[in-house]
Amino acid sequence: MATAMENLKSVRQEAIQKLIENGLLSSTRVYVGMSTCEIAAGSREIWDTFQEEIKENKITDIQLKQKGCAGRCNLEPTVEVLQAGKVPFKYINVDTAKVKEIIKKHILENSARSEERTPELKTDPFMLTDRSKFVFGNVDFFKKQKRITLRNCGIIDPESMEDYLSVRGYEALAKVLTGYTPGQVIEEVTKSGLRGRGGGGFYTGLKWKLVADENETEKYVICNADEGDPGAFMDRSALEGDPHIVLEGMIIAGYAVGAKKGFVYIRAEYPLAIVRLKKAIKDAKAYGFLGKNILGTGYDFDVELVLGAGAFVCGEETALIHSIEGGRGTPTTKPPYPSVHGLWGKPTLINNVETFANIGVIILDGYESFASIGTSDSKGTKVFALAGKVNNTGLIEVPMGITLREIIYDIGGGIKDGKKFKAVLTGGPSGGCIPEEFLDRTVDYDSLNALGSIMGSGGMIVLDEDDCMIDVARYFLEFTQNESCGKCTPCREGTKRMLEILTRITSGEGEQSDIEKLERLANLIKKTSLCGLGQSAPNPVLTTMRYFKNEYDAHVKYKKCPAAVCKGIISSPCQHACFLGGSGAPSYIGLIAREKIDEAVEILYRENPLPVICGRVCHHPCESKCRRGDIDRPIAIRELKRFLTDYAMENKLGLKAGAITKRDEKVAVIGSGPAGLACAHDLAMSGYKVTVFEKLPVAGGMLAVAIPQYRLPKSLLAFEIDNLKKLGIEIKLNTEIGKNIKLEDLRKDFKAIFIAAGAHKGLKLKIPGEDSKGVIDAVDLLREINLGRKPDIGQSAAVIGGGNAAIDAVRTINRLGKKAVLLYRRTKSEMPAWEEEVDEAIAEGIDIQFLVAPVKVITEKGRVSRLECIRMELGDVDRSGRRKPVPVEGSGFTIDIDTLVPAISQEPDIGQLISGEAARHLKLSKWNTIEVDGETLYCGTEGIFAGGDVVLGPKTVTEAMSHGMIAAEMIDKYIKGEPLVRHYSVTKPAMDVPLMEMSEEEIESLQRFEMPMLDVKDRINNFIETELGFSMAAAVCEAKHCLRCDKEEKE
Amino acid sequence: MNGAVTINVNNKEYNVESGQTIMQALDKIGFYIPRLCYHPKLSVEGACRICIVELEGARNYVTSCTTKVAEGMKIKTNTADLRKARRDLLELLLDNHPVDCNTCERDGNCELQAIARSIGIKKRHFTGEKKKYDIDLSSPSLSRDPNKCILCGRCVRLCSEIQGVNAINYANRGFNSVVMTAFNSPINSSVCINCGQCINVCPTAALSEKYYTVELFKELSDDKKLKIVQVAPAVRAAIGEAFGLPAGTNMEKQLVAALRKLGFDLVFDTQFSADLTIMEEGYEFLDRLTNKGVLPMITSCSPAWIKYAEQFHPEILPNISTCKSPMSMQSSVIKTYYAQKRGIDPKDILSVAIMPCTAKKYEAEREELALDGNKLTDIVVTTREIAWMIKSAGIDLTKTEPEEFDNMFGFSSGAATIFGVTGGVMEAALRTAYELYMGESIIDIEFNDIRGFKGIKEATVKMGEKEVKVAVAHGIGNANEILGIVKKDPSRYHFIEIMSCPGGCINGGGQPYAGSEYVALDEELLKKRASVLYGLDRAKTIRRSHENPEIQRIYKEFFERPLGPKSHKILHTHYSKKYPQGIYRK
Repeated sequence: MATAMENLKSVRQEAIQKLIENGLLSSTRVYVGMSTCEIAAGSREIWDTFQEEIKENKITDIQLKQKGCAGRCNLEPTVEVLQAGKVPFKYINVDTAKVKEIIKKHILENSARSEERTPELKTDPFMLTDRSKFVFGNVDFFKKQKRITLRNCGIIDPESMEDYLSVRGYEALAKVLTGYTPGQVIEEVTKSGLRGRGGGGFYTGLKWKLVADENETEKYVICNADEGDPGAFMDRSALEGDPHIVLEGMIIAGYAVGAKKGFVYIRAEYPLAIVRLKKAIKDAKAYGFLGKNILGTGYDFDVELVLGAGAFVCGEETALIHSIEGGRGTPTTKPPYPSVHGLWGKPTLINNVETFANIGVIILDGYESFASIGTSDSKGTKVFALAGKVNNTGLIEVPMGITLREIIYDIGGGIKDGKKFKAVLTGGPSGGCIPEEFLDRTVDYDSLNALGSIMGSGGMIVLDEDDCMIDVARYFLEFTQNESCGKCTPCREGTKRMLEILTRITSGEGEQSDIEKLERLANLIKKTSLCGLGQSAPNPVLTTMRYFKNEYDAHVKYKKCPAAVCKGIISSPCQHACFLGGSGAPSYIGLIAREKIDEAVEILYRENPLPVICGRVCHHPCESKCRRGDIDRPIAIRELKRFLTDYAMENKLGLKAGAITKRDEKVAVIGSGPAGLACAHDLAMSGYKVTVFEKLPVAGGMLAVAIPQYRLPKSLLAFEIDNLKKLGIEIKLNTEIGKNIKLEDLRKDFKAIFIAAGAHKGLKLKIPGEDSKGVIDAVDLLREINLGRKPDIGQSAAVIGGGNAAIDAVRTINRLGKKAVLLYRRTKSEMPAWEEEVDEAIAEGIDIQFLVAPVKVITEKGRVSRLECIRMELGDVDRSGRRKPVPVEGSGFTIDIDTLVPAISQEPDIGQLISGEAARHLKLSKWNTIEVDGETLYCGTEGIFAGGDVVLGPKTVTEAMSHGMIAAEMIDKYIKGEPLVRHYSVTKPAMDVPLMEMSEEEIESLQRFEMPMLDVKDRINNFIETELGFSMAAAVCEAKHCLRCDKEEKE
Repeated sequence: MNGAVTINVNNKEYNVESGQTIMQALDKIGFYIPRLCYHPKLSVEGACRICIVELEGARNYVTSCTTKVAEGMKIKTNTADLRKARRDLLELLLDNHPVDCNTCERDGNCELQAIARSIGIKKRHFTGEKKKYDIDLSSPSLSRDPNKCILCGRCVRLCSEIQGVNAINYANRGFNSVVMTAFNSPINSSVCINCGQCINVCPTAALSEKYYTVELFKELSDDKKLKIVQVAPAVRAAIGEAFGLPAGTNMEKQLVAALRKLGFDLVFDTQFSADLTIMEEGYEFLDRLTNKGVLPMITSCSPAWIKYAEQFHPEILPNISTCKSPMSMQSSVIKTYYAQKRGIDPKDILSVAIMPCTAKKYEAEREELALDGNKLTDIVVTTREIAWMIKSAGIDLTKTEPEEFDNMFGFSSGAATIFGVTGGVMEAALRTAYELYMGESIIDIEFNDIRGFKGIKEATVKMGEKEVKVAVAHGIGNANEILGIVKKDPSRYHFIEIMSCPGGCINGGGQPYAGSEYVALDEELLKKRASVLYGLDRAKTIRRSHENPEIQRIYKEFFERPLGPKSHKILHTHYSKKYPQGIYRK
């Protein structure tokens, strides 16, 4: 009698013969991705178009085949074209036009454009069946993957038994039936170290043994294909791409544990997977791999499909069993475990799809080979559905022990749109959010558990800075709350209360006690729920509370949603992102759209003490959170603001009347930068007499001496400051506190003092030779030029840095007619400077060299003569979320310069400000900043407050202004004898401006206006303002395509 | 499984029997762990999680109702963390509960309330949205208020496991989980058989009888009507419990006095018509036995059983005795014979029945029982309702001087008394049937084979040459089982007694709540209640229905003979197949 293996071999021979008859040897073969994801991306149409085109062009000797999903979600639909003896092609994001082009150019004219070869294809001679080498070619996405269970996905036609047989299909089964006792099979699986891939991680071999040891004639095998996590699609893709591999695993399992009947419990929402499984079962029966007398060995095994109605809890094994039995899908307490008392009370083996898919590999390649992959306690590979904010979303299979960072950055290609990574959520709604600091932890059962998350069945969602962690936690809790079966008290009632609390917090109605309640409930539910669903439901909340406590505090205490997501708190993201709080952007944009410019001006001037300045130099965090930016590009909010100030100046609007009630108390403000001016403005509006002391001969601080005129013309700064003076603010120039007047003396005359002295001292590069002649810091250089002096700049300068000061310096030097190069140690996308500034610099012909760092200054006759540099490359991501520059060994080079301008950062130049008596009261940090109470800016000394760069270090104009405004509020309270407490409230629109009556299409069709710019050739040798401003028509049109989030109803 | 294991509870070691759960072991040791969904007569659900204990080595708390003891287990029952967890779990239930204790029917005998007190809930932390459902008042027997339901599922399991009716089950998920009927139809349109057993196991007022106390107080103020009340046997065996007396206290005569104080003109005993039932039913049985009628004959006293048979087993309807129940027979003779005799219009009579049973309220509404279009029993109230009414009227039953029932329908035999307990109807019937068939008295009139609380009881009575085989089932689950036996072997029995409630009427859906000493369905409690009835029987000189002189008089004066044309019209009824929601009409 022939053995099972001999039987298989003859069956396989016939199958390959059949493949050849069906065109396997055609000179052209076209594979079209036909999984649910590919079909959703449009591959059905691609398929039809190919058929039509082939018919129309009467192409013979071509074979059109379907394939499953290779996991490249963001590249679908994909099409492969293979031709005998030629380089295989893989086309991505194919549409019908592309199909026609492929037929015409590639197949008929034989002139495929080589640049269209995606790098996934390696040159490989004609291959019969093994396409894996080029499908999983040498691209980053596949480099760190190890595809075992998915080895056939995207390669074979999932509906073809012949295809499966040609890739050693059912060989493991034949091997087992030829020479293994059931005990030997279990031993093989046990030694492999395989653990359950459904999430629990129970040792598979042990589970099999428990079932095998039960002394019952009737036993069952169940394949759990009830995948239900949001964002998870591993099982679906696997079953759609290669159903036989799962069936083969089940049949082997049945043999090992002594079962004759198997069930696949699959959710009815997976129609394509069901169709393919049904076909696979039918074919397997026809080929003798299923049913009676399998491969002539006398072993009987049958498989039946059971369709689940889509309850998440039915992924829990006892609930799943009740569902198959026809009951309500609710879990029951374990023990008894299904291995003892399972389906219809009989011993039952339940494994997940992926677990079964591993069995064939273990049998074919031997347990040693399998166990050589992975970590000591987690062997083999794991499939993940990589989703969220990574560039390469898709289905991946990685060896256990890979780090999260490798998955996200090497396979996933990093975060989309250069945004900052925030967290990765593993295990779906039962898992947890893992922050950046743990990205180097390995992916295995135990290490993920230790982080408060779980491996789960393989959902992996990457979150970036635009995701609110509380909103994420709320989303997942809402899911588990809805999917709770309702049987046990903690899961049914507790998750509801948690959801209510989270909803309160995300609506800005949270209280401090809510956080404690949340934690109390989470621990209760975890410790007392009946089944895994409840026990793990609080995980997303617990991990976000553990790793993102600051976001909870931000929502509850400060009514801030840092990601600008939570509608109830933010009103509109642009307004919420503004440091000035009530900037009123959506309101004045809405008014501009309605051509009510005067009203728009009124709103802007009411909310912003320095609108002209902000309209020109604000770093506009509003735009980075603008929802329109998710569609195409954000609204040009800064440009619109500037338009309003231009209009106001032209029409003499926006002039303030000043305070109605005057107060006798006097307040001193030290420093006339944005913090000082904003504080003085607000205090003056409250009726106080304010005197501003300025060390420099001009008012405006950094606005006057650091920002070049071509960005902020002096006349406009003066105009804005003059307006402040009209409110009664006195500005004393050339008056340095500590030198001209002692701080102590100020305290005698003034009720309160606000120190806003800025950060005017450049930081050292800390390289040899830095103290030589010809080295001048960017802020010093800019100050000198702004004050009309002539700093010592030679003929050829190098500016070091990537921030706005560096760009300002290099553009300024360029305008002076000198040669200037900018050296930056990272790449353009990591530059902290505004993108538009960098682009303008490039447009002006500035030479920017990226990935270069200075090493040493070489001098000649005491002056800088050369700069020794080294090339850098980007390594791993650092705490700032950017990739760290690492020196490339042996890449050193020198450049000839006579001037070196470090522009890396600044610190406060405290000078004599804090001396004598004052030194006893004011404390300095190690960064030379003044230490204050973070909320009230109070220095802890009677009447003295501090804010702006002198507290924060070098930051932005609006951050400094916001400090000034807070200080004004606190000083007012201080003088009135009220407690120094800030009250926080959610962001609300400045005004209820009705929506324009426009269709969605109309709004969508509009595009962002570009700021009209002074021609580059007109910028040489002068400091004329480069931005020309919006015309009325442009402004109105720009305002019209705002999505008006402030009018969006709360969910 | 038998054997002993040593477990450590709160740092002390105890030897306990193996194979039992931690809860069972702790109960015996003397640690009472609070519990809600657990009920000793029902399957273990493990849903409420209140009975958690700390088990050394376990990742989470374990429910003591589901976890079996094992050698060396270290258990803590009362740590501060555990108390906090229990407290929070219970608060979660209260947070989704009306907590309207002042106006709630179960104030004072509510398990949820009692546990909240014992656990010591002082502050509330998690209040939020509460469920909101309509109260289902469609049934004449019971009302359902899902707002008060804590989803312990005892009613669901009882209806399925004990009664086999499955009228209610869980629907929806998570916070929206609710116990409902099939298709959420009003319970009166469902397959519910009105037995009210669910009420007895409900820890809150989510299920309760439909109250007729307001109507009854109103009727009692109507001086124009002759207000007649009848009291079922089981009522006297249990009503004392509602007044704080120990279970097993006979309150027959005090109850009579209290009812008079409440305003009833005449207090009759349903036991009189129990004797009447035996006459009719006994003759009917003998008739079937000797004239090759449909056998086995099945008793018809239990209205929930009748509804069950009409819905689920219409094929058995010909086997069911056509006799009305004692309550309906009593009301029939009140509104015919008695009215005639007193010369008053039956419409001027208020006929009230005090029953241990919620299904009797339904029975009173059955149209086929009406006589000439008139309702026989005007109002049915349960033991619980009348106990409340007595209290509410300021009458202390425990201090009431005993009084006798009124004449005519106040006298009964011992056979009638034991109608209230499972096997009682059969025993009463046999006492009479034997004598009628054999023409001689039986020596031992106590049929011990059919006493007690075994689910199905069988006995064979030799009547001369004839071996009469009888069976008794109580609880619909057991009834269903017996029907299965009959289906397989139609000649196995001649006569079957079926009572819907486990234990018979003494455990009816309208009896006082089990209180703190017992749980519902507790056999000890049932035994005590049964002992009252058996005691009364034993104390009587007339213990056979046909010997009751009042019975003999009514046949002489009115019915002429059992199964005669008059009794056929007044004392017998008929049944028909019913199609509530969920039953397919062919």
